[in-house]
Amino acid sequence: MRMLLCGWVLTLMAANLGWAQNNNPVVEAQAVMATDAAHANSPLKLAVLAQVAAGYHINDHKPTLDYLIPTELKVDPSDQFTVKNVVYPKGTIERFAFSDVPLSVYENTVVVGALLQTGKAVSVGTYTLKAKFAYQACNDHACLPPTSVPLTVTLKIVPRSVPLKPVESDVFQRIKFE
Amino acid sequence: MEEQTPIENIPQASKAPESSPQENPTAPKSKLLAGALLAAVLVVGLYYVNRYWIAPAVRAQTKGDESHPLAPAFSLTDITGKPLNLSDYQGKVVVLDFWATWCGPCRIEIPGFIELQRRYAAQGFTMIGISMDDSPEPVVDFYKQFQMNYPVAIGNDRLGELYGGMPGLPTTFVIGRDGRIYAKHAGAYDPSVFETEIKELLALGPADEPKDFHPAGQVFNENKIELGNPATIDSEVPGIDLTRLTADQKAAYKKILESQQCNCGCKFTLLKCRQVDRKCSISRKLAQDQMEAFLKTKSTGIATK
Repeated sequence: MRMLLCGWVLTLMAANLGWAQNNNPVVEAQAVMATDAAHANSPLKLAVLAQVAAGYHINDHKPTLDYLIPTELKVDPSDQFTVKNVVYPKGTIERFAFSDVPLSVYENTVVVGALLQTGKAVSVGTYTLKAKFAYQACNDHACLPPTSVPLTVTLKIVPRSVPLKPVESDVFQRIKFE
Repeated sequence: MEEQTPIENIPQASKAPESSPQENPTAPKSKLLAGALLAAVLVVGLYYVNRYWIAPAVRAQTKGDESHPLAPAFSLTDITGKPLNLSDYQGKVVVLDFWATWCGPCRIEIPGFIELQRRYAAQGFTMIGISMDDSPEPVVDFYKQFQMNYPVAIGNDRLGELYGGMPGLPTTFVIGRDGRIYAKHAGAYDPSVFETEIKELLALGPADEPKDFHPAGQVFNENKIELGNPATIDSEVPGIDLTRLTADQKAAYKKILESQQCNCGCKFTLLKCRQVDRKCSISRKLAQDQMEAFLKTKSTGIATK
C-alpha cells in the first residue's frame, strides 16, 4: 500500500521532469548598499537580491521541516563594521510532490537585508565588504547540493560633512528592518 | 639421430588405403555421417566458445565506452561499520542510489527502495545507498527511522565524479549482473520504473547480454551514462588532467596555481581551492586556463602523445 501511494506520488512528479542541472546557476545574487557611501559610527543597510530560476525554489530561512537546509546570508566579519541584524522575507507556502506537508520556500526574487554598523574608529577610505548567500535549491523532482554565491561590495567611508545619497530605494522599501 | 624420410620416399603400403565407390559401397555413408557429426560438434563448440569466451571479451573491449560502461569500483565503510565494496556484489543486480537526507525527492524514494530490497534480495538483487550528506549523523538517524534494510555509506565528491558527477540528487544507477550500468535515473522516479528494470536484469544469466534492455520511464539527455575521467578525478590538481606533464612540469604548474589567489570567495590559493573544494567551478576554470597557458609556453616542451 505504502509502495503504491509512493508510486502514485512519483508518477505525478514524473510529469514535471526536467533535470536540475545545466550550466546556468539556479540562483544569481548581487549585493547593494542603501547609500552611495557611509559615515563612521553609523548604521548602514545592505540588501541582497537573489533571483531563483523558474521552476526551482530555495528553502525559507526558517524551513518548515527540520531536515531542510535554510537560506542564509553570511557577512564576513570586518574591522570596519559589525552586523547588527539580518532580515529575511517570509516564504511562500507551496505544495510539492515530494512532501506530505506544504513547505515555506523562496521563489523568483528574494530580497534579504542586513543592518550593519560602521566602526567608531574607521578611517575615511574605500573598503571591501564580503558576504555569501547560501542556499539549497530543488525543483519538484530533484535537489541540487547546498552551495553559495560569493558577494562583494565596495564600501566608501566619507567624512561626516559629506551628505549620503540614497540608492536602490525600491529594493530597500521591500525590507522590513524593524 | 633418426633419419627423416622424404615424403616422396614413403612406401605405398604405409599410405592409407584409397577407397573408391566401386570397392566399398558403405564407406561414403559412414564418412558422410562422421563428417556431419564432426561439423555438428564444431558448430556447437564454436557456439559455446563464442558465447562464453569470445563474445564477453569483445563486449568487455567494445562496450566500455559505449552505452553500458562498467560501474566504477568503490570501497567504503557503511554506516553500521561494515565494509561496502561494489565488487562484493558482482553477479548481482544492483541499484545504486546517490541521495541525501536534506533532499525531499530523495527521501520519498526510500520506502520504495526498502520494498524492492525486501522483494528481490533473495533473487540476486541489492540496493545500495550512497549518501552525499556532509556528516553521517543525519544519515544514521534516517536509517534507523526508516528502518532501511540495505547498506548505506557516506559518499564523497570523488565517487560522485567517478559516476559522472552528481549535479542533482537523487541520481540512481541500475547495474546488471555483469557489473555494467544499464540505466541512470536523474531525479525521483516511481518504484515501478526500477522494479521493471530489476526484473528484466534478474531474468538474465551472468553471460547473457541484455541486448534489448530499455530503461523504464522517461529517458532524457541528462540520463545518458557518461562516467568521469579518472585522470582528472584522481589528479593532484582535481579536475585537471596532468598525465601529459613530466614530474618537473607538474611541479612548475602547481607552483603557478599556488602563487595565485582563487577569486571564488574561498580565500585560498588556486591550488588549495582545487584540493579542498573539488566542486568549485571557478577554481576549476581558472586552473584549466592556467594549464592551457602553461601548455602553450615554449619552455614546457610537452611531448604530444
